[in-house]
Amino acid sequence: MNKLGKVLLKLLGKLLLIALGFFVVTFTVYFFNLDMKLTAAIEPFLLKHYDKIERNTHL
Amino acid sequence: MAKEIGKDRLGDFYIDGGKVRKRREWRGISDTLYDYSRWLVIMATLGKFVMKPRNVKAMFRYRWMANYLAVPMMVDRHTQGLRGEYLRICHTEQDLVIDDVAKLLDSLFRGDRRIGNDTEFSKKVVLVDENEMTAVMMGFPTLKVLSRETPSTYVSVLLNQHAAEHYIDVAQEHGLAGDVCPMPEAEAGVSIDDDAPVLGACAIQCNTTCDGSLLGNGVISRRLELEDGIPVFQLAAPLRHREDDVQEYAAQEIRNAIAFVEKHTGVKWDWGAYFECAKRVNYATRCRQEWLEMNRTPYPQVFGSNLALYTETNYMAICGRVAAFEKADRKISKLAQQAYAKKKRAAKEYRHRAIVWGVQSHYYMDFLVWLLNCWGIVPLTDMLSMVSTRELVEEDTPENRETAIYDMAWLTENMIMRNRTHGGYRVLLDELWEFTQQFKADMVILWEHMSCKALTGMHGMFEDRARELGINLVWVGHDLFDPRIISRQGVRDQINNYMRTVMREEPIDPSLEVLHDEESW
Amino acid sequence: MKDLKHLIYFENLLLEANNKLVQKAQKDGKVCVAYTCENTPEPLLNLPGCFSARLRAPRTGSMEVATYYLTSFLCEYSRALLERAIEGGYNFADCIITPDGCSMMNRCVENMELLKTMGKEKPKFFYEYMEIPMKGDDNGLNLYVLQCKNHILKPLAEHYGIDTSESAIRKAVEEHNRVCELIRAIGEFRKGPRPAITGYEFHVLTLATYVCPKYLLVDKLAETLEELKKREPLEENAFRARVMVVGSEVDDLDFIKLVEDSGAYVCADRFCYGSLPGRDPIVLTDGEDVVTQICRQYMNRGMCPRYMDMPKMNGRREYVAKIAKEYGADGIIYEQMKFCDPWAYEKMLGSHILREEFGYPVLAVDRPYAIATSGQMRTRVQAFVESMEIKKIQKEDAANG
Repeated sequence: MNKLGKVLLKLLGKLLLIALGFFVVTFTVYFFNLDMKLTAAIEPFLLKHYDKIERNTHL
Repeated sequence: MAKEIGKDRLGDFYIDGGKVRKRREWRGISDTLYDYSRWLVIMATLGKFVMKPRNVKAMFRYRWMANYLAVPMMVDRHTQGLRGEYLRICHTEQDLVIDDVAKLLDSLFRGDRRIGNDTEFSKKVVLVDENEMTAVMMGFPTLKVLSRETPSTYVSVLLNQHAAEHYIDVAQEHGLAGDVCPMPEAEAGVSIDDDAPVLGACAIQCNTTCDGSLLGNGVISRRLELEDGIPVFQLAAPLRHREDDVQEYAAQEIRNAIAFVEKHTGVKWDWGAYFECAKRVNYATRCRQEWLEMNRTPYPQVFGSNLALYTETNYMAICGRVAAFEKADRKISKLAQQAYAKKKRAAKEYRHRAIVWGVQSHYYMDFLVWLLNCWGIVPLTDMLSMVSTRELVEEDTPENRETAIYDMAWLTENMIMRNRTHGGYRVLLDELWEFTQQFKADMVILWEHMSCKALTGMHGMFEDRARELGINLVWVGHDLFDPRIISRQGVRDQINNYMRTVMREEPIDPSLEVLHDEESW
Repeated sequence: MKDLKHLIYFENLLLEANNKLVQKAQKDGKVCVAYTCENTPEPLLNLPGCFSARLRAPRTGSMEVATYYLTSFLCEYSRALLERAIEGGYNFADCIITPDGCSMMNRCVENMELLKTMGKEKPKFFYEYMEIPMKGDDNGLNLYVLQCKNHILKPLAEHYGIDTSESAIRKAVEEHNRVCELIRAIGEFRKGPRPAITGYEFHVLTLATYVCPKYLLVDKLAETLEELKKREPLEENAFRARVMVVGSEVDDLDFIKLVEDSGAYVCADRFCYGSLPGRDPIVLTDGEDVVTQICRQYMNRGMCPRYMDMPKMNGRREYVAKIAKEYGADGIIYEQMKFCDPWAYEKMLGSHILREEFGYPVLAVDRPYAIATSGQMRTRVQAFVESMEIKKIQKEDAANG
């Protein structure tokens, strides 16, 4: 295997590792519903913020 | 962790009193990976959306935007227990609706005077109601047809059952009686609470769907026209839409609406674009009919809340104006045919064939999935999906242009839901029993939206007819947008009680019978 | 103030839907056209050979059966009518014509039809449903005319051989106008600090014109008008305030009575079954189709909240302000029948606009069909009267420095 081949293989390996890492992280988030658990934790703060906004409330 | 349909106890995914679920389902490798890949696509759609600073600004300005944190969960609710083609059909429908709503939000904030303030863009925007056929915009391909109520109230409640409560309270604080339909009430509340984006060259409101909706528009147009300076056209669609002697009136309303849009946007009606849209509407109609045809057999394929939601979006909000929906129609048909050929079923056991009638509970749109998984009741079709099947003229000729005006009028009159709740008792009462025969249904699940007067006004006649025909009629009362009146469990209990006491049956999945999801999105 | 000579006579006419005059007209061989909504042009129902009777359900008690059919979420007016129909209380009617004015009224009449409540021994009996405009424009007018022709004139001619010619319609308008002119002339006595007629008395007379054959009322109305001209008016401070009542259907005498018993003189009536604008005479000219002229005037003057275009919406509130000024109202009571969607919204907007933009004290209330002696309503009206008095005193104090 020449030098280029080795570099390519290394790159491919790195890409695979990144892809695997991406998969493991995102699949964990997906499977354990972590995305929704996080946004559920954020929501109360947002609601408090909306209550503070000055509005021109009228008919 | 189960691969097979019906092996999971779906109720176990719920956290008592929690907002979200413990985890997502394991559906076997292939289906789980597919669901995961679609989740990634949804995350990418949301990611793309929040990349724009104006959308983030909007997130912090509009209260209803908080509901969009729950987008992935809405999809999860609708895909509960699904496998194979059913899962793919559901995703095809749901993901496209999500993409469409994301684009709608992005456009709204681009033109919004408070957020993006793109005035040139705003000049090309025509605002429409949430509950309005957009047929009248089929010949304006260069204009943006945007509904403010769709994302602020309609979709919001699909995402979060509590989304409309704040706006309902605002409207009532300002003197609105508490017994009106909470949907227009919430829409009026958004306007009163100064929580609607302000943009557009003009707006078209419609008297669909009901008295409440018509009057709620009066609250919105007051602010829109008198305060924001956006001229509003009120499109009056006749209520007795099956009568010949109202069609000319309906057609003239369409002509007037088109002239109004032309006047305020400076854009001319494009017949070529109209007929292109008409072809897509016809294609969607044919597909829908094909799905309904399958649902008459022992192997229904496209049914339940997905059918209702997708029809509502495709038939009413899109009306042939977005090509992507034609592609989705094709894909759904292909998947359905595939599953039908293999005589596949979406749940472990099919016990009852049901027609779902009336106005569905919006805060519990995935109830039909529950019905299937918990009790084996197959919702073959629902009132919202039984819309017009009339073919529109497709070829651009002088005679067809005149017919096309009547076609648009017909579509507008036959907006989803109002094509049944208005137009005399025949369309609401008599045709239901015809459908139960056609679909060989042994059960009718009758949503009783308590503040829908057109529907509850037929309560006794539904009862009488069901008794005469020997059909199991199950009432499911709810208050459309307000789970504080009847909770999701309150909705489920009405079925549970009927199934146990009248039908003497045990649930297929007992874990679903009682769920503590009152705090859930 | 001395009692009106014919007040008891008129009150008695309101005790039954099938009252003495309805029976007399039918004995005279006239066809009784029942209807339910103010958007049905009355003169077309009062052609030679027929007369109109707007349905109401006096002395309503239980509405159990109607509640089973319509549920408790529909307004009590629609339920009371259905209950009465099921009881056989409208068997006198020879046909019923109803517009899809609101969903509830439509469902009420559809249930009457499905339950075969009427027309059992009347082979010519018919139910007709009309589409009516939602906007005051040319397109709406064309629809109105067509609908009146197809759903009023045509069936009346076909089923009962009623003459629907232009001259017959003009004659009906003349008779209609005679009653309107009398009612409006009587209504004039409500103006000024010392009115010669109470709001209650006026309501009794007006209501009778909706539910009785008009031609049989004219004499007594004319006599009452003459009587009023000589009647000693009320003392200047007989009532503590003057109010205008605005809102949905009111055919309940007790409601106006309750308001007046609470100290507020009802000086103007802007509600269905009221005289403003319900008893505006119809002005006809030559050279234009008479049905078109009638429909145009009904459409233009229509104050029903189902009219959804901006000019009509704004016009409704401006009309209230104009009438309030003309009749010298100190305040306005916006009322809606519970579960009435159109008036729920109109009450919210109207009460807000009349208060904020026109400066009137406003009381907004919802009520049942038959109010009887509601302590709750009495308390609210009394409190409203007191608040108006306080405002008056404050105004006078401010003026006196």
